[in-house]
Amino acid sequence: MPDAAPQSAPSPAGPLESPGLIDVKQGDLLQSPVSDNWVSYNGDYTGRRYSALAQITPQNVGRLSARWVFHPRTVSPLEVTPVVVAGVMFVTSANDAYAIDASTGKLLWHHARPLTHGLVDDAAVHHNRGIAVLGTRVYMETDNAHLLCLDARSGGLIWDVPYAHGNRNYGATSAPLIVKDTVLVGTSGGDDGVRGFLAAYDAQTGREKWRFWTIPAPGEKGSDSWPMDMYLHGGGTTWMPGTYDPSLNTLYWGTGNPSPDYDGSMRPGDDLYTSCLLALDPDTGTLKWYFQFTPHNLYDYDAVETPVLVDANFRGKVRKLIVTANRNGFLYVLDRVTGQFLVAKQFAQQQTWAKSIDANGRPVPSGLVPDEKGVEICPAEGGATNWYSPSYDPRTHRFYFRSLDACAVFQSKTEPFQEGRNWYATGARATGEGGQGYINAFDLDTLTFAWRNAQIGPYKGWGGLMSTATGLVAYGDDAENFVILDGHTGKPLWHFGVGQMIHASPMSYAIGGKQYFAIAAGSDIFAFALP
Amino acid sequence: MEYCAGCHGTDGKGGDKAASLAMTLSVMTRSDSELEQIVREGTMEGMPPFSQIGDANIHAIVGYLHAMEGSSASASAGAVVVTGDVHAGRSLYFGKARCAACHRINGDGGFIASDLTAFSQTHTADGILQAITKPDNPVAGTSRVATLTTIHGTRLTGVLRYEDDFSLALQTEDGRYHLLSKNELTAVAYSGHSLMPRDYADQLSSRELNDLVSFLIVAGRSSGIDSTPPH
Ligand code: HEC
Repeated sequence: MPDAAPQSAPSPAGPLESPGLIDVKQGDLLQSPVSDNWVSYNGDYTGRRYSALAQITPQNVGRLSARWVFHPRTVSPLEVTPVVVAGVMFVTSANDAYAIDASTGKLLWHHARPLTHGLVDDAAVHHNRGIAVLGTRVYMETDNAHLLCLDARSGGLIWDVPYAHGNRNYGATSAPLIVKDTVLVGTSGGDDGVRGFLAAYDAQTGREKWRFWTIPAPGEKGSDSWPMDMYLHGGGTTWMPGTYDPSLNTLYWGTGNPSPDYDGSMRPGDDLYTSCLLALDPDTGTLKWYFQFTPHNLYDYDAVETPVLVDANFRGKVRKLIVTANRNGFLYVLDRVTGQFLVAKQFAQQQTWAKSIDANGRPVPSGLVPDEKGVEICPAEGGATNWYSPSYDPRTHRFYFRSLDACAVFQSKTEPFQEGRNWYATGARATGEGGQGYINAFDLDTLTFAWRNAQIGPYKGWGGLMSTATGLVAYGDDAENFVILDGHTGKPLWHFGVGQMIHASPMSYAIGGKQYFAIAAGSDIFAFALP
Repeated sequence: MEYCAGCHGTDGKGGDKAASLAMTLSVMTRSDSELEQIVREGTMEGMPPFSQIGDANIHAIVGYLHAMEGSSASASAGAVVVTGDVHAGRSLYFGKARCAACHRINGDGGFIASDLTAFSQTHTADGILQAITKPDNPVAGTSRVATLTTIHGTRLTGVLRYEDDFSLALQTEDGRYHLLSKNELTAVAYSGHSLMPRDYADQLSSRELNDLVSFLIVAGRSSGIDSTPPH
């Protein structure tokens, strides 16, 4: 070794207690709720986005102030949720990954990778929602659906595996999810005629372990919806991270709308497994059960909104539940052991596609079908909620989420599938002012809303939420502010104008006892702490 | 070809199940006997054994791999001519010369210094040789070595990833980032160098250096980011 061989002071026991040393064990990923570290897109496997950190309270939040801003190269508004491990923050922007000092916002490394040209739809705007971490490695998806394994200590490329084949309309925008020693990845392209799947890769070698196709092949259950080669183009993509229950060894993953979006004529029947929640065995990819929110979906109502794992008393019995607010305008409570439907509550004030939800959770359609002239239907194609994250506070049993009350005129005409272009089979346009946004607190004990805050501001928000052990809820509002409110009353307590639209969900972390909030806003990452 | 195409693609450039053979570093830098052994016995990573096709066929397949390598290498060769023994260079890189302790190349190696995979894409053979034998010319801002003294008297030596008037990040050899405020430090002493050893011109013969340079050139050729849409 050279004369200047670097030396380190002896490091304390647990890797994640040791600042600056990135070595995430599978056990670290099982910590729930999260506190100092935020180790995955949703923080922990439950999807609750609830942090145990308690330094920032309703009493002192007024003194919260910006600590730093980090500006990555950007081509479109950031959708990333930062991951923080041992004081190091990891973010992505398009195909680039960055490690930053989470206390100062200074760059530690940058893995630069060019954009892919010739993609369609979401992949063509190069959204990316972040990394996953295991051991000394970080993992990310690229716009052209490669899984990259990088050295978390340098950003050096360890391997690069292309994982979507046979259709150039595939892309990827999500953050991977690590379960045990497996990296789970999905794709975009559900509005563009790809065949959705969830794929599992060995985190060490990058070798594929299994692949679950969300559109069944000819002869399989559900294939009667997919005549001829339609199964190759049926959509049902997996463009958001799922959640995972280690005690049930079950992975919960939402699927997107069918393709083509607005024309159901070439996909008769329910269109399994689009617009579904899938319960999968993470070791084999075997389907344990599924629940379909919007059978024969004609309205672009993806079901990728986070399936939040909640253990709570439901009608007198403690149960393992899933709570999820769906793009179709209803909030669902399911039993996550069996997939049994328990209750649906309509939260969209304007909802016209379904007459009701029956006792099994199946919607009774109102019969509104997009046609060539155009039909007004609510919610609008952007959904009554969307991928922006919800949050669940296990102390107060409140489920917080953003919603949008809007309608659109849906037009549809049969068009053939074509590689290189999207496949909505015509489109939807907003009616009126484009809708009214809300931040909602849904009380699981009473199955009613504790409060609903109508959003004011010139924009329609795309900012998700998180909550903390002191009852705070953080989110991006409709007026380019990062806001913290009192979850008990819904009263906004503090805000900071970030000067750009927020298209991402916040997170929280701590270094040496100091709690931070961070959010990707527009083209920058902002971090906040008490002075 | 009929035996391999199912996994590696009909042109050897990779299929759904396995890697490209035509431009892969592991093909270009392995000896014939090593490659024949891989075809005969398979690999832990999932390549099945093909001893059943007989040694003559195995030998012919390895010959074909080199033919593909020749055609792809000459297509992208450009100005840089490989004059050394790439295989020997690879052995030096991962062996005696210890380059891999610090530098990653095509996915393998250390993290404390830069990834050298693409280095030859922007440097001539002579430029590569200079970088190895006359390093730190100049020392890159993110490669400076410094020794810190903390207010508790502890000393730490590592690579300064950033520094300003208020704070710095020092990465030690174990990979750990020491993210420190200047308030916690009494001194920052710069070594004036990076970690790159400065005695390779003496430690390695000119032939060994040429082999290393050749290895770096070929490694750079066989890499390449696939920035095309899924096909
Ligand atoms: C103890 C660690 C160490 C070892 C061993 C080492 N290097 Fe380096 N090398 C460095 C550092 C540090 C730099 C400065 C730039 C950087 O941070 O990568 C460097 C720079 C280089 C550069 C210039 C890179 C650039 O981007 O400017 C080349 C080429 C190089 N080394 C090749 C080699 C080769 C070949 C070997 C083996 C013969 C080797 N190095 C061994 C640490 C090392």
